[in-house]
Amino acid sequence: MNAVARLVWAYFMGSALTRTLTAIGVVLLGLDVFILLAQPKAGEMLWVGVFGLIALFVGSSWMPLMFARLASSHAARVMPGARAKLLASAFVTVLLVSLPVGIIVPAAVVSDTSGLTEVMRDPAALKYVLKLAAITFTSAMIFAGWMYVVLWMLTSKRSLKGLVGTLILVLLLTLLPVREIRDLSVSTTWNLQQLVVVWTVFGAGFLWWPRVRAGRLRVDQPFGFVNRALSGRTTGREFDVLLGTSNPWLGVMALVVPLLLMTYAVGGASTVWLFFLTIFSTVTGAMSGQVPGRSRALWLRGTWSRATLFSAVERSVWWHNAHVLGALTLVFVGIGLVGGFSVPVLAYGVPLLILGSALSTYLGLAATQGLRWMEIVCAIAVMFAPMLLTSFISNMHASLVLIFALESGLFMLAVLLRHIARRRWMKIDWAVCRPERMMVIRGA
Amino acid sequence: MTDAVAASGLGKAFGARQVLQDVSFGVSPGDVVGVLGKNGAGKTTLLEIMLGYTPPTSGGIRVFGHESLEMPGDIKSRIGFVPQQDELLDQLTVRDQLRVIASFYARWDFALIDRLCTEWGVDVNARIKGMSVGERQKLSILLAFGHRPELLILDEPVASLDPIARRQFLEQLLAISADGQRAIVFSSHIVSDIERLANRIWILKDGRLDWQGDLDSLKESIVRLHIRGTGTELPQFRIPGVINVRRDGAFATAVARDWTPEAQRALEKSASVQIEVETLGLEEIFLELHR
Repeated sequence: MNAVARLVWAYFMGSALTRTLTAIGVVLLGLDVFILLAQPKAGEMLWVGVFGLIALFVGSSWMPLMFARLASSHAARVMPGARAKLLASAFVTVLLVSLPVGIIVPAAVVSDTSGLTEVMRDPAALKYVLKLAAITFTSAMIFAGWMYVVLWMLTSKRSLKGLVGTLILVLLLTLLPVREIRDLSVSTTWNLQQLVVVWTVFGAGFLWWPRVRAGRLRVDQPFGFVNRALSGRTTGREFDVLLGTSNPWLGVMALVVPLLLMTYAVGGASTVWLFFLTIFSTVTGAMSGQVPGRSRALWLRGTWSRATLFSAVERSVWWHNAHVLGALTLVFVGIGLVGGFSVPVLAYGVPLLILGSALSTYLGLAATQGLRWMEIVCAIAVMFAPMLLTSFISNMHASLVLIFALESGLFMLAVLLRHIARRRWMKIDWAVCRPERMMVIRGA
Repeated sequence: MTDAVAASGLGKAFGARQVLQDVSFGVSPGDVVGVLGKNGAGKTTLLEIMLGYTPPTSGGIRVFGHESLEMPGDIKSRIGFVPQQDELLDQLTVRDQLRVIASFYARWDFALIDRLCTEWGVDVNARIKGMSVGERQKLSILLAFGHRPELLILDEPVASLDPIARRQFLEQLLAISADGQRAIVFSSHIVSDIERLANRIWILKDGRLDWQGDLDSLKESIVRLHIRGTGTELPQFRIPGVINVRRDGAFATAVARDWTPEAQRALEKSASVQIEVETLGLEEIFLELHR
């Protein structure tokens, strides 16, 4: 238990940043529970708790990466019960992050109805509130678990498989709850069934992985040609090969499965299509986050200064991203023409796709010093701003001037991020900005 | 002749942590510099500053007459570097990785690399992902040799190599340095390799260059003194440049730096003692300096 507790402590309190976020989260959540239970009709104060939840979740955001690194380390093979303890620590983390949801949502309902004293006196009301707490808590556990998987994929799996996985997970995470809410099919039992199945499968797979892996290695050889074909980074310019941008068609291929899933799940709703395609373009652009570290290998092998290297890297990244963006635009316009999207949706949707990609591309290029406050705030803004704009664009009554102004704002933000990225590249320090695999070696 | 590398007053800090302080040196063609230091002494940082990967926080460094942070392409093409942790692409085969890196240079000695691949037992068709740490290290070294650099910088290049591969690597390094036109700077914890190969030694201690000079001067300078008195107890005396001293009755053993025959004569005369000087190996010198 001591090891599990220490691991969980490290996930939440591992760095000054995560400590601060965790503390803010706990304080905001405590404050919100107090307000909701002490004040009648204070349900609208739920936002305090929501911000607390976000802070708590971001505060524990090192968990997937630390978990993965520890799981793949040699130490995990020799320490007694290491994998079981790691698994338990992940479960406890998900539990801790989800628990407040099961408290603040029912507390808000209690506050908005008859108050805590009245609810305690009324068995029917109490039963309803407890049922609500169970549903929200178990739903939060499912959601939080998958969110950690997305975080892990975004931070460690910068590959075709990682991109496909991330896009599909984002899709499922958003679509499934929407469907359940629409169909009113969500229940505690159903949530518990999901949790049991997911954690049992994940747990069994995780605990048995060393043996599975040994088995996989034995059968890997006959299918080596498949792996070689999929890894296909041997084509393209050498500059792009070293940066990891040599084969943009892999990025395009990564869209196929998520798009097929979307066609099945979404149908012809313009809002949803634009929403998800914007997420896809933003996630694709964010792959540029690997470029500053990988550019280290280029520094001694060319005529470029730091300034000209930035320009060359920028061209390479855009050459790569333009293929994916082109594919997304074609899909959007194609679906739009078939599905009868309105002209404003098409006219403002296409620039939004480009803006989503541009914002995350330059944010990734600006990450020359790892993730700090500015990068985290910008990353959240860059993820959410284009998504919010999709709802404006799809709203029949929204002012086109306002949409234009908002898109212009995003454009200015992209220009600003490019400026920041360029300035940082003038002073890029490859002693602190290294390729990911080297960080993994150091972390292991 | 222009120094291959010239640095003066170099300092480097990562936040509040001072890694290097007031480091000055020059590296000329023909020099084979062995850099010694404990873990965290600043060896890798020093080499990375030379290569322009990271800016110094104070002082300046020039490589072939150019600021390391702003080296033009023709200067960079004269440098070869073997990093401590390889920067290979797992997805590629050895042949593809060699081709990718070769494409960045106007001159690439394919014959040399082919020969070394054969001699070192590097399978050019092997996928890098499946290679051992030692095999990856061999490939990293090959990648740094291919364009026949005039300045070769190696950060703990032999740490992962077996004794045979290490010997082959050292022989190759000797062959490269034999024409006296190239400069080599390499860090290593294997002191015997440095002793065998280097004609100049840098010892980094607490971020400062505690010693720099040729190996013979170092061995002459830092010595162990066996001191014997005439009576039953040694008289009190001060040994110039003493690093440590251990007294035992009429005998004492001391390690001193900047030792000279004049200092010996003066001490023998003033303290009425007999002194026998023992020359130390590089490893013992390193240990004494860090005791």
